[in-house]
Amino acid sequence: MAITSHLTADGSTLNIVIDGRFDFSAHQAFRAAYETLPDRPEHYCIDLEGTTYLDSSALGMLLLLRDHAGGDRADIEIVNCTDDVRKVLTISNFDQLFAIRPH
Amino acid sequence: MSSEHLDRQLLEELEEVMEGEFATLIDTFIRDSAERIAALQKALASRDAEAVRRAAHSFKGSCRNLGAIRLADLCQGMEHQSAQGQLNGQENTLVDIQQEFSQVKLLLQALV
Amino acid sequence: MASLTILVADDTPTDRLILERIVRAEGHRVVCAGDGVEAVTLFEREQPDLVLLDVLMPEQDGFDAARQIKAIAGERLVPIIFLTSLTDTESLVRCLEAGGDDFLSKPYNRVVIQAKIRAFNRMRHMHATMLSQRDEIAHHNEHLLQEQAVAKQVFDNIAHSGCLGASNIRYFLSSLAAFNGDVLVAGMRPNGNMMVLLGDFTGHGLPAAIGGIPLASTFYGMVYKGFSMTDILREINAKLNTILPVGIFCCATMVDISFRKQRIKVWNGGLPESFIFRRSTQQIEAVQSIHLPLGVLKSKAFKDDCLVYELASDDRFYMWSDGIHEARNSDGEMYGEERLRDVFRANDDPEQLFNSILGNVQSFVGEEEKHDDLSLVEIRMEPPQLPTETAGAPVRTLQTPSRTGEWAMSFEVQSRSFRSFDPLPLVLNVLAEVPGLRSHSNTLYGILAELYSNALEHGVLKLDSTLKNTAEGFADYYEQRDQRLDDVDEGFIRIHVCHTGQGEGGKLRIRVEDSGSGFDAQPPRQVPNVRAYHGRGLALVERMCDAVHYLGKGNQVEAVYTWNHDDD
Repeated sequence: MAITSHLTADGSTLNIVIDGRFDFSAHQAFRAAYETLPDRPEHYCIDLEGTTYLDSSALGMLLLLRDHAGGDRADIEIVNCTDDVRKVLTISNFDQLFAIRPH
Repeated sequence: MSSEHLDRQLLEELEEVMEGEFATLIDTFIRDSAERIAALQKALASRDAEAVRRAAHSFKGSCRNLGAIRLADLCQGMEHQSAQGQLNGQENTLVDIQQEFSQVKLLLQALV
Repeated sequence: MASLTILVADDTPTDRLILERIVRAEGHRVVCAGDGVEAVTLFEREQPDLVLLDVLMPEQDGFDAARQIKAIAGERLVPIIFLTSLTDTESLVRCLEAGGDDFLSKPYNRVVIQAKIRAFNRMRHMHATMLSQRDEIAHHNEHLLQEQAVAKQVFDNIAHSGCLGASNIRYFLSSLAAFNGDVLVAGMRPNGNMMVLLGDFTGHGLPAAIGGIPLASTFYGMVYKGFSMTDILREINAKLNTILPVGIFCCATMVDISFRKQRIKVWNGGLPESFIFRRSTQQIEAVQSIHLPLGVLKSKAFKDDCLVYELASDDRFYMWSDGIHEARNSDGEMYGEERLRDVFRANDDPEQLFNSILGNVQSFVGEEEKHDDLSLVEIRMEPPQLPTETAGAPVRTLQTPSRTGEWAMSFEVQSRSFRSFDPLPLVLNVLAEVPGLRSHSNTLYGILAELYSNALEHGVLKLDSTLKNTAEGFADYYEQRDQRLDDVDEGFIRIHVCHTGQGEGGKLRIRVEDSGSGFDAQPPRQVPNVRAYHGRGLALVERMCDAVHYLGKGNQVEAVYTWNHDDD
């Protein structure tokens, strides 16, 4: 598991890229990726292209990010998820909370 | 005259090769030659051309080794004749061989 | 020069005396014989290195003595120099025929004798060196042949454990095919399909043969478990890519034949085009190589797309290594593809095609030539009769799940292992061995992971998920998890997996049991609020499975997963 993140030059969007398994062991790194920023960006983009698997605690972490980013006003998109990851997100009705874009 | 009977240079080399045993060699040659001449005589008497040829051939070899050139040539003549089955007139050659051997014997004994 | 022992055999005492002197002066030991019989006796006793032999001697002449001496010496080189004043050619020829190596004429010359002894001594040394090198080479060669025999045995055990003896297959491989890099494997899949792979490794000898072993064992390991052709090709490619040095790879054609659907899938990477011979039209259709050989590309770049052909009963498929195309006649001309096509054109009885091809190649290259490099396979579209000993899986293969369909396994993780050991990959590996289940790996991992986390975090570590109600609590929860994992010294988690076959697929029961006190609330549980940070795990499992049961006091959860074998 590896988490990398970067802000766009204008500071408006935070990209978070997750490689490998997205599970409880990622929670500190994932939280650090957005909590340490001095200013809150407008958009968040979670890139799951390299994510092989996502468990229920990862779903919790995504919700924590959502609440941190303003709850229902949060603008978060989840991109490039594989079929398996997509399935987990769909089962949990996360498409109601996030903009999910597959490949 | 003696130079026709013996190869002096060969004998000098032989003396060198034999070191202290040159006298023994001469002595052995003289005794062995007497036996070979007797064998030649016997073979001729029995009219056995092959036996004559072999005896002549062997004697020729030792004569060459001792530098007895003329004696060797006489043996060779006898060897060739008998190889063709020719025994007639060989008695004369045998007499020549005996006479030549007497000469060689004296000359060789003089060397030691 | 080292001191030699030299035998002098001469019936004339003066000649012996002179020779003895000359030879001794050179530092050699001399043994003297006065006739032929004595010469042979002394030769046996003294084992001299060189013999000086008079021709005319009493008792036994030099010719006979020479013959006997050469016989006794065997392969040891003992030069014989004939001492002779004979000058006629016939006598000299007799000397040579008796084994004489040279002549020495009278009167003896010291310098000539010394030169000859030295020359023959050098020859003796060379001969001895040659003999020992010959022995060494022979020894190495014998060793190599033994190793090849062992390698071939291992290779044959692995490569020929399949169904090459099936009634619809005919093939020709030279007995040393393995060492030409050619490998042919065939096996039946559990669904009745037949898979055949013909490979041609680059190079010759052991390096070429060695890749055939992982290829064959991977092939058979996977065919019998029902893996698809693309899975098998990918696996073989990955294995060869990893283990073979750059520059060694395997040109191959692989086919998957469904007799039920009368369909053939072909993958050709680097071998000459294969032929499909259709009985109805008597025409051939060529299947070209569209891929790189096995072992060249990394897994990511490997292409596994296959060509699919509908065949009719008794249609035939031919594949070959380039040995046929490159077979040369005495003028150095190659057989080539046109001649091969001509054989098909000229043929009027498909049953004779196989023999016609072989016969034609053979008469082209000439009867004298060996066909070490020629591999040819014919497969008929007709359900095969399998020879009993090779039918199905190889004898030594374990009873794999696929053969029985019914099996179960249990696995227990104990307290001291929770921190360091993750049992999920292990369990998943076992599940991936089940034919058809591999494509379900991700879902199965999801189910297992949720059940295991649940058992570990709540059952064993007794963590309270309400902690996760807030963002701070969420972090706190995982800090506590970490802490308790270090401290835990009691408890267990058991994983039971039970499988039953069902048609083309099966039913899997995964039960995870923990040492905890069970759930407070008995299921069915509420589907959580979509916005809650926790409580989603079991709900996910319920959605991914056919059914979830809560057993015992709530410390056991069983997930039932049914699946269909959707791969043909």
